[in-house]
Amino acid sequence: MSDHDQRPWRQYICLACGLIYDEEQGDPDGGLPPGTRFEDIPDDWECPLCGVGKGDFELYEPPAAAPAPAAPAVAPSRDSIVVVGAGLAGWSLVEALRALDQEVPITLVTACQGDIYHKPELSVALSRGLRAPALARESGADAARRLGVTLLAETFAVGISPALRQLRTTRGAFTYRALVLAHGARPALPPALPEPLCWRINHLHGWGGLQAALDGAPRRVAVVGAGMIGCELAEDLAHAGHAVTLIDQQSGPLAGLLPSPAVDRLARHLDRLGVTFLGDTGVATVTATAAGRTVHLEDGRSLAVDQVVAATGLVTESRLARQAGLAFERGIAVSADTLATSVDGIHALGDCISIDGAPCRFIEPIPRQAEAIAHHLLDRPHPGYRHRAPVVRLKTRQLPIVLRGAPDPALSWEVEHENDDYLALRQCRDGETTASLTVGRPPRRDAA
Amino acid sequence: MNSLQSLPAEAPDHADALLERVADIADGPLAALAYRIDQEGHYPLEIMRALGEAGGLDAHLGEHPRFDLAIGAMQRVARRCGTTGFLVWAHQVCGLYMARSGNPALAGARLDAHRRGARFGGTALSNPMKALSGIERMALRARPDGHGGYRVSGVLPWVSHIAPGQYCGALAQVRDDRDRIQGEIMFLLECDDQVELRPCPTFSGMEGSSTWGIRLQDYPVGAERLIADPARPFIAEVRAGFILLQAGMALGVAQGSLDSILEVEGQLGHVNRFLDQRPDTLRAELEDLERRAGLLAATPYDDSRDYLLDVLDLRTQGADFALRAAQSAMLHQGARGYALSAAAQRRLREAQFVAIVTPAIKHLRWEMDRLCREQWPAGEETSA
Repeated sequence: MSDHDQRPWRQYICLACGLIYDEEQGDPDGGLPPGTRFEDIPDDWECPLCGVGKGDFELYEPPAAAPAPAAPAVAPSRDSIVVVGAGLAGWSLVEALRALDQEVPITLVTACQGDIYHKPELSVALSRGLRAPALARESGADAARRLGVTLLAETFAVGISPALRQLRTTRGAFTYRALVLAHGARPALPPALPEPLCWRINHLHGWGGLQAALDGAPRRVAVVGAGMIGCELAEDLAHAGHAVTLIDQQSGPLAGLLPSPAVDRLARHLDRLGVTFLGDTGVATVTATAAGRTVHLEDGRSLAVDQVVAATGLVTESRLARQAGLAFERGIAVSADTLATSVDGIHALGDCISIDGAPCRFIEPIPRQAEAIAHHLLDRPHPGYRHRAPVVRLKTRQLPIVLRGAPDPALSWEVEHENDDYLALRQCRDGETTASLTVGRPPRRDAA
Repeated sequence: MNSLQSLPAEAPDHADALLERVADIADGPLAALAYRIDQEGHYPLEIMRALGEAGGLDAHLGEHPRFDLAIGAMQRVARRCGTTGFLVWAHQVCGLYMARSGNPALAGARLDAHRRGARFGGTALSNPMKALSGIERMALRARPDGHGGYRVSGVLPWVSHIAPGQYCGALAQVRDDRDRIQGEIMFLLECDDQVELRPCPTFSGMEGSSTWGIRLQDYPVGAERLIADPARPFIAEVRAGFILLQAGMALGVAQGSLDSILEVEGQLGHVNRFLDQRPDTLRAELEDLERRAGLLAATPYDDSRDYLLDVLDLRTQGADFALRAAQSAMLHQGARGYALSAAAQRRLREAQFVAIVTPAIKHLRWEMDRLCREQWPAGEETSA
């Protein structure tokens, strides 16, 4: 035997039809006995399936087996309560259901891995030197086991037919007993901020990408949008040692939400931290350069940076809702007390909903919404969800800003307290306080 | 000229009359040929000719394009014979390529003959559709011939609704003399003596689809054969329509399966009621699909991501539904449906074909997954 014959058997794949020629098996019907080496095949031999010649074959190395999925692949029960979205809203609903019923089948469909983390931490975690794995409190697979739910990770919901009680996903279609939409909202990116050039930190994965891109050295970062997330991030990035430029259409940070005395204090605070604020202008385009990105502003200026972060607000994806015939007004319209959508058998909660046409994208109401839906789905008595304006707390660490009540842009603010470190304002109607705002830390009261 | 062109295409009675003519052909001569087409390889060009004369092959073309009617005609055909439904689809999309090519050599008399079923041609876009989605590599390669045209070489394993003297829309990757990729061209591949047609293995069904392997060696593509150069913008334009039209095959096979269930209901209903996927459930899903197909058919050139997702979702559900309906028809019919001559078992294989013909269910889901994913800086991609 020559050395030639002691090599392991090889396989060759037909590039036209995908048939695999295995040297060990040969092609007896085509005149090649088992053990015919590929190079010994005559040139006039043809693929037994599609007829191409040996020149259209190439060496085939079977791909390594894919890693086993982290969660067991359990076929979803036809009687499941199906939840779309495994953020805080989705998991809160699962927890609320399990608190009432250990048995009811639940299927959780999520575009990500379903890892549990606290989203508000994302805008303050860079300066704490954290990395994405440290922010995940529990993996989606572990939480699914703990709560006894079928988790369909990396799965997109693509269609709903309410009359059939059918949800279709990128991993198959199934019927549901009840459907709960908790898929959140996505960043509203203007055309000037294309996805491949801008980070968004609406979920852990996006944050992890930004963190990795910034890791190791001080970087130049442009933050587009000086709303709550943009201001929090700008402070966090500055604390982490990066050179931050904050860009907004308005003349000051958070100017769309806060009255000017508060905006002025926040602007001074960010300035002291080294954040450059560029107001009264938008971004015209962002281009990739060899060294990073160039941000071209609408006012003609441009700046060279390493990374761009878009904090331009959120919008609820409407396609699924529209396809299912759900009423939609800046979010999936739900009843204020039951969280039921306009279509029988479908509820919604969290960032994807709107109540009386107003989206509500805060953490505090979500567990209460989940409680109300869980009781309803399991036919347990419940007084209903009571919607109230959440307390807005800006997580700018050195200059905390807290907004309570329902501020009305048409009403003026009265100063309650003012010194160098602290500002307290309020709005009144008919002698009643309807909104209050504090900027900075309240003066300590010495014990009397 | 197509006899229908003198009629206002949007008139409701025109639409009903067209679908009625198509149904007469499908329910009569076509239904009688279904077994021969499926198992004996009869290529039903006489049926295709009749369908062309009835206006069943070109409702989606012309001044008043009606994709809903094109799908409706295909559904009526596929209800009686899935293979012929597939031929109607292949013929319709080939007409779409010619009509939207903007190439005068492919329009005019040439297109008229295609529209009325006097000449026949299909589509060889299975491999390119997958190649452009990143699933496999492009099978045909084109080299500029130095005179403004190209020479195309390569092998396509199976192309349907072609024969000597017929044609198909095809796509090739352009390489320059240093083998660098220079984009793609789309062209009308005419099966003349420069094209080698090779027999395919015997399939388990759909044998009358006239499916061949094609081998090209320096096949000349001049201006008169070009559909699009570059091809990608053209593919982006027709992709949703290409996939949407396939709904007609799925709906027809499913509806035929529902027919088979109802056929035995009087006799076997007392035991069949223990089956799931009963006719009322299947009918509700059929109507849901028909309704959505009708809505999507109104805007076949909508280039938005949401529209494409809706089309992909419909096509996926259609294939899945055809499989479930065909399986259910077998269970409802029992042994009589299992006879080799029975429509119920033929539809199992037809439904399987609907589920695996490009884009197959797995490709559709791959594509929906790709469209749903967010993009990230530095080439990193991940889920929402």
